[in-house]
Amino acid sequence: MASGALACRSRSREVVVYLSIDQVFTEPILRDFERQSGVKVRAVFDTEETKSTGVLNRIIAEARSPQADVFWSGDPVRPQLLVKRGLVRAYLSPEAAAIPPAFKAADGTWTGGAARARLLLVNKTRVKPEEMPRSVRDLADRRWKGQTAIANPLFGTTTMHVAALADAWGDDALKSFLTQLKANGCRIASSNGEVKRLVASGEVAFGLADTDDAAEALHDGAPIEVVYPDQDGMGTLLMPTAVVSLAGPHTEEARRLVDYLLSVPAEQKLVDVAAHIPLRADVKPAAGGKRASEIKTMQIDYAKVAGTMERLQPWLRDWAGL
Amino acid sequence: MAAGLGWALALRRREEPFLLLAAGVVLAAVALVPLMFLGGELGKGDALRHAAHALSAPRTWALFVSSLGFATAVTVLCLAIGLPLGLLLGRADVPLRRVALWLHAFPVFVPPFLLALGWFHVFGRGGLAASTLGARLLFSWPGAVAVLALALTPVVTSLVAVGLQAIDPSLEEAALLVAGPRRTAAGILLPLVRPATALAALVVFSLAFSELGVPMFLRVPVYPGMVFSRLGGVDYAPGEAFALALPLFAVAVGLLLFERRAAGRRSFAVLGLRSREVPDLRLGHWRPVAIVFTAAAALLPVAPLAALVIDAARGHGFSELAQWIGASAWNSLFDALMAATLVLALSVVIGHAAARGRRGGVGLDALAVLAFVTPASVLGVGLIATWNRPSLQGVYGTSAIVALAFAARYGAVGLRTAAVSFSQGSEHYEEAAAIGGARFLRRLGRILVPIHARGLLAAWLLAVVFCLRDLETAVLLYPAGQEPLTVRIFTLEANGPGSVVAALSCVQVAMTAAVLAVGSALLFRRKA
Repeated sequence: MASGALACRSRSREVVVYLSIDQVFTEPILRDFERQSGVKVRAVFDTEETKSTGVLNRIIAEARSPQADVFWSGDPVRPQLLVKRGLVRAYLSPEAAAIPPAFKAADGTWTGGAARARLLLVNKTRVKPEEMPRSVRDLADRRWKGQTAIANPLFGTTTMHVAALADAWGDDALKSFLTQLKANGCRIASSNGEVKRLVASGEVAFGLADTDDAAEALHDGAPIEVVYPDQDGMGTLLMPTAVVSLAGPHTEEARRLVDYLLSVPAEQKLVDVAAHIPLRADVKPAAGGKRASEIKTMQIDYAKVAGTMERLQPWLRDWAGL
Repeated sequence: MAAGLGWALALRRREEPFLLLAAGVVLAAVALVPLMFLGGELGKGDALRHAAHALSAPRTWALFVSSLGFATAVTVLCLAIGLPLGLLLGRADVPLRRVALWLHAFPVFVPPFLLALGWFHVFGRGGLAASTLGARLLFSWPGAVAVLALALTPVVTSLVAVGLQAIDPSLEEAALLVAGPRRTAAGILLPLVRPATALAALVVFSLAFSELGVPMFLRVPVYPGMVFSRLGGVDYAPGEAFALALPLFAVAVGLLLFERRAAGRRSFAVLGLRSREVPDLRLGHWRPVAIVFTAAAALLPVAPLAALVIDAARGHGFSELAQWIGASAWNSLFDALMAATLVLALSVVIGHAAARGRRGGVGLDALAVLAFVTPASVLGVGLIATWNRPSLQGVYGTSAIVALAFAARYGAVGLRTAAVSFSQGSEHYEEAAAIGGARFLRRLGRILVPIHARGLLAAWLLAVVFCLRDLETAVLLYPAGQEPLTVRIFTLEANGPGSVVAALSCVQVAMTAAVLAVGSALLFRRKA
């Protein structure tokens, strides 16, 4: 009877998680956690068009009475905006010990997990092997006028990417690059998923998207070549996912979920199903995939990028005509 | 005790204004207070300065005017197709009219963004009818107008066709004695169906003006995109978004004035479905042309849906449905039915007051239209600010918040439909009952609702359909773990199996069609 009561109480336990990582990849991991812990997971996922900022702004809008216990973010930059607003409940997970220091906050405000890289998706039927683009700067090359695409930098991971480029090149160089992009007829898609569609269908020759978009296109048999840009220059942008504990009402369950999301099985699953790049040494890369150490990556100060991202917004809105 | 008795007597005498007040309070709580909360954000930090800067920027107004042009073009195109088509499908001797109307109406059942995606599968480079010109046209201003017009034309067609069913047969019979079918259609039927046409124009314009998904996908900058960038971007600025929504007040008032003027002082046609005995209009030698036109209009909008069905079937999406659909279909139905019932309750009271020109009725009518044209993101963030409090978790943490949001956003659809229906009935019945001592609630229950049952059922059905297809309102507010089907389609659309997304879209269409079929059966059951 006591065990029955306990089971009943256990069933009533729940945790609320907001995610900006694709539902198709994360839902199975959340189900695994439910099975293992007996804690019910109630999730809010982002749509492709509002990726990362939709749930982020919902967390901000709900600040008066926080609903979310955990934010599983597609990048570590947006959580900085929550840290700045005092909406994060710092938690140093025991699982964080296995994550390299560059991919976690020392104060436990966020901890990184399997990462994505920003890649050039190239349609092989439209681009000859000897003409393969090698740098994000090729998006603005006149040779490819009207044949390239990026997602709207006001939303999604492209926001972080342009901010990282601004930190690497300086604001003026970034603005000049984006102006050239526009003049070059680069298509501004509503999402990375749409960039993938445009490249896969041959609508454009190549475009900028994420590792998971590339994996999905390859899985669908699209004639895609994947290029890690700027390997002979500043490096490719790597975006670890970030697990953040928030001020929602289920503190204990939130910590259990954070621990699980940073664990080997969860990271391994994300690597396997979404072609993410493992950060933990004890997680194997996906078949044909790479480890972070095998890629020349951009050197990023995530907190600084967050500041740059906010600073660039008014200019980006002007640039996008909004 | 005497004071209590006096209050009860006063309440009985003033039932109508009290009921209107109660309905007004509910509507204000879901539509006005949220906007006021957002307005309060203007007082924080530099929000007012930024808002003033945004509103004084020429590009803001250029985009506003451009969006007005966009919505106008969509509305004109919808009317140009929907009006003659509604006439043909509602009254002419065209074969398989009901089937054609059903097929033609299918696009209304899904969020327009899905249709744009469907058209991409048809005209994109890798599409079923791929061509460079087709792809270029699709991703352009005219392409976006065409996609949205094809998605929304069924609103006009359906309202006109149903409106025609309700015209007093004797008027048409008299006209046919002295004129041919063409002159009867142009001179009698179309003018009589003006209230339904005006309502359809209002609905289409509002939906086209506030649409974000299709223009974003087809890369056409629109004003709601500017508002959304203040709420969906990194620098979350609800106060600025509210300021940018202010010009929409003018749009709402303009729309209402237009509708009143276009509908005319007196109304003849209604959304109720009175029985009719007039034979179909004979088109003579125009019949083959009309058949081709109706066939094209019925089949063309189905093309993107057919592309989705093919996609789902080819990729075994239907067999994987059980794995991905969860409780989302049930969530959709539950939210929509709750919301539509609330809309109906508000529509009976406010719609009646608006139709009879009662004090307050017109103002509440305008408020509902304002909420309809306000971008869903603005309304959603305002609702969060209003309802997300520890003491209101019984509402905010449950499906009730989605139902309230739907009622705010689509209240105008039910309310205007009910108002049009009420405006058809003679006021004399109510006056006679009032002279006989019947109080308002009694008149409502015994006279108004029974007489206008079909019009009110049509209002409820319309509200259900709009709530079922909604994405942009629900996505901001749905309680964790209880997403409706449209949201699930869009969250899975990101790298999810394309065939499953297509199959889920088919479920969305089938579910809405089933609800409409049941609703239609109820409508026609009374007729028998």
